[in-house]
Amino acid sequence: MPAALLGEVDLTDLEAKNRSRALNQFLAGVELKAFRIAQAALRHEDDALDAVQDAMLQLARAYSERPEQEWKPLFYRILENRIRDMQRRRTVRGRVMAWLPFRGEDDEEDLDPVAQAPSPEPQPVKRLELDEAVGALEKALAKLPRRQQQAFLLRTLEGLDVAETAAAMGCSEGSVKTHYFRALQALRAQLGELYV
Amino acid sequence: MSRPDETLTEFERNARVVLEASLARIDARMRSRLNQARHAALEAAVAARRPWWRGVTLMPAAGAAAAAVLVAVVLWHRHPSGVEPPLLEGRTSAVEDMDLLADGEALDLMEEGDGSFYEWAAAQTDANGESS
Repeated sequence: MPAALLGEVDLTDLEAKNRSRALNQFLAGVELKAFRIAQAALRHEDDALDAVQDAMLQLARAYSERPEQEWKPLFYRILENRIRDMQRRRTVRGRVMAWLPFRGEDDEEDLDPVAQAPSPEPQPVKRLELDEAVGALEKALAKLPRRQQQAFLLRTLEGLDVAETAAAMGCSEGSVKTHYFRALQALRAQLGELYV
Repeated sequence: MSRPDETLTEFERNARVVLEASLARIDARMRSRLNQARHAALEAAVAARRPWWRGVTLMPAAGAAAAAVLVAVVLWHRHPSGVEPPLLEGRTSAVEDMDLLADGEALDLMEEGDGSFYEWAAAQTDANGESS
């Protein structure tokens, strides 16, 4: 193989490695937030994990060659589509299950007694207050309409700007502003000023 | 691009702190599963990025195997049924020798020990050789 071609192959491999490193960094940076967003929407850990996993795979397979600054809105757009699909499927399953005369015990969550047991270590007051605030905010978020919840989490937790949030949600910037404003109003009404 | 904190109201700032605290509550098991999902995605990206001609590197091995099978099939079908291939001629005569040894009459001839049979057999062979 000629040296120039060898050089080209090396360059291509180097670019691929850099791309892979950047993708790893990006996914590591969004995975926890994406999981929380999916969990808030689906209210089920394993479903949330599936949604995040699918979004990661699709981004990696189809869009990893796109410019890095496009990854975040694309990733959240894919995640949002996946969440919507899962919610639709769940609605259909719920309708079918409603027709069944008997629901087995399989529907019940498996509770791990060790995981459910209270921690023997006393928690510091600050930690307890923060935990209470997290719990209260999660409950209030669960009551929000889906689009408001999404706009709030993408803007506040993920820190997307209005344009990026609009791209991720597949709607106009005006709609994002409306959903976000209504979400803030509803949360304030439920939580007060949320002191932490 | 993330939003600068100065543009946030106090409620939004507090909400952000609370939401970030909620990330810390994600347990180690789930973090590990997310980590696995990330690595699976990275492998998928590498596979998707691999150029098509990288698959051609497997062609020589596959081609050699296909050629070997083709040669075997051609050789198998070239010999008409009932005709022994030339490579087996030596082995055929060895089989004939075995027949002779197993034959009771041939053993009787050998035991006679006068060598008349061998003289006769040699003469037969010479005669065949001259005729052919």
